[in-house]
Amino acid sequence: MRIVSGGKSDVGQVRGNNEDCFRIVPAIDLYVISDGMGGEAHGEVASALAVETIVKHCLDTEGPAGASPEAQVSWSENTKRLVGAVHLANKKIFESAEAHPEQVGMGATVTAAWIDRERLSIAHVGDSRAYLLRSGSLQQLTSDHSLVAEQVRRGILTPSEAEHSEMQSVLLRALGTQPEVEVDADEHSLFSRDVLLLCSDGLTRMVTEPEIAGTLQAEPSPERAAERLVALANENGGADNVTVVVVRLDSDEKGWFSWLRRGAQKNAGGGNGSAGGK
Amino acid sequence: MPKLTLMFEAKTVKEVPVGVRPVGIGRSPDNDLPVDNLAVSNYHARVYVEAGRLVVEDLDSLNGTFVNDMRVERATLHDGDSIHIGKHYIKVDAKGDAPVPYDSGRKANAPRINETMVLDTKVRREMLQQAAAMGERTQFASGRLRVPTLVVLAGRTDQKEYALTSKLTVIGKSNLATVRLRGWFKPKMAAQITQKDDGFYLGAGEKIPAVNGKGIQGPVQLKDGDLILVCGVRLNFIFRD
Repeated sequence: MRIVSGGKSDVGQVRGNNEDCFRIVPAIDLYVISDGMGGEAHGEVASALAVETIVKHCLDTEGPAGASPEAQVSWSENTKRLVGAVHLANKKIFESAEAHPEQVGMGATVTAAWIDRERLSIAHVGDSRAYLLRSGSLQQLTSDHSLVAEQVRRGILTPSEAEHSEMQSVLLRALGTQPEVEVDADEHSLFSRDVLLLCSDGLTRMVTEPEIAGTLQAEPSPERAAERLVALANENGGADNVTVVVVRLDSDEKGWFSWLRRGAQKNAGGGNGSAGGK
Repeated sequence: MPKLTLMFEAKTVKEVPVGVRPVGIGRSPDNDLPVDNLAVSNYHARVYVEAGRLVVEDLDSLNGTFVNDMRVERATLHDGDSIHIGKHYIKVDAKGDAPVPYDSGRKANAPRINETMVLDTKVRREMLQQAAAMGERTQFASGRLRVPTLVVLAGRTDQKEYALTSKLTVIGKSNLATVRLRGWFKPKMAAQITQKDDGFYLGAGEKIPAVNGKGIQGPVQLKDGDLILVCGVRLNFIFRD
């Protein structure tokens, strides 16, 4: 896979500080975003600690993958290591809060994606999200660990009731608030022309999914797509910090077959400026 | 003017003064103090001033109004009382201070609920149980233990049945597809099923699948018993007990 990526984080229009944090590690195709919480500057401490710990653990492929109660035999090494990294981040934040009484209550969400050829590993805690844009439709790859999302899953609220609830910021899981945390993890196969999006809730509360899909389709550069999405969130009110990472995948297969196929796609996808539409 | 402060888990949700008009409390958003909890009735209670006293009146709510942990139908409120409604409580400030200017720097130490917070496990369990006990649209009570499953009725695949455990299930020839199609000229990714909070949705890939005999136009939510046809493979979507 040929991978191009870009990211952007912004304080938004209302908040005084940016508690979001993200990191792109092109060397190993690792992408991590985190949204911190806790008064004063502690949310920033928590999210930075989450991202740092995860990146460091994933780069250190010599060391043990790390224990995780969720681990499944079928998981790839990367998925196991990524989930181990998230558990480690939880431990680090929790221990830091224990050691510094002023940090009590700090925590962070995390959504991490690691690409190894055609396999995508996802690990996730909280209400930041991973999406995949494929064949024109945007699909959420993560479940929000929020009270309202849980109520929708249980059939108590409808998705639109959840969108208007005052309880949207109430999380059921986060890193650093308990000594142990349950981590969601999944593996997916990637296909040429998939677009992966990681974002904090500052994007998804301000910009609708169709707008997000439209922007990702209209803007081929990941860097500019990320900037455009952040700008949209701010235009719509920017009530929270907003962080966006966009990763675009393309097949790097060579040879006459892919050349033929690319040609066919170009013809099928054409129409921009070409005359003679029916 | 007396003042009511709606609190949730030690955090301020909303503050309202009690003026000439009664303050409505309930789940419906048109209340002066909307309380977003299923244990709360739409129009649950109201607070008003009567003959110089502050009075709370329960409006025949299902789960009751509690003042300092005593269930009341109507009661006089005193400064420092707290009214419990569901998991929320309302602090009563009856002293009638001069209204405090809204932005006098109190923001910093009175976090609002739009600041992210995490529920501890106990409160979380209670809230969800309470909501479930309310019996509103409790399809989950039966649906939750049932496993969404694709049963292969016809066509060449690597298994006869697939439990849908992932957020995204790919149907195709790819090595990493969940439902692996076999045979020449099968697409790598023929179609896919996404799990959303409210159910499972089938979407197109390189092919447009049909549900119950009709080609889909955009993602469609799958219902128990739906028949899916994609690339000559017939699948039955069911919830297994």
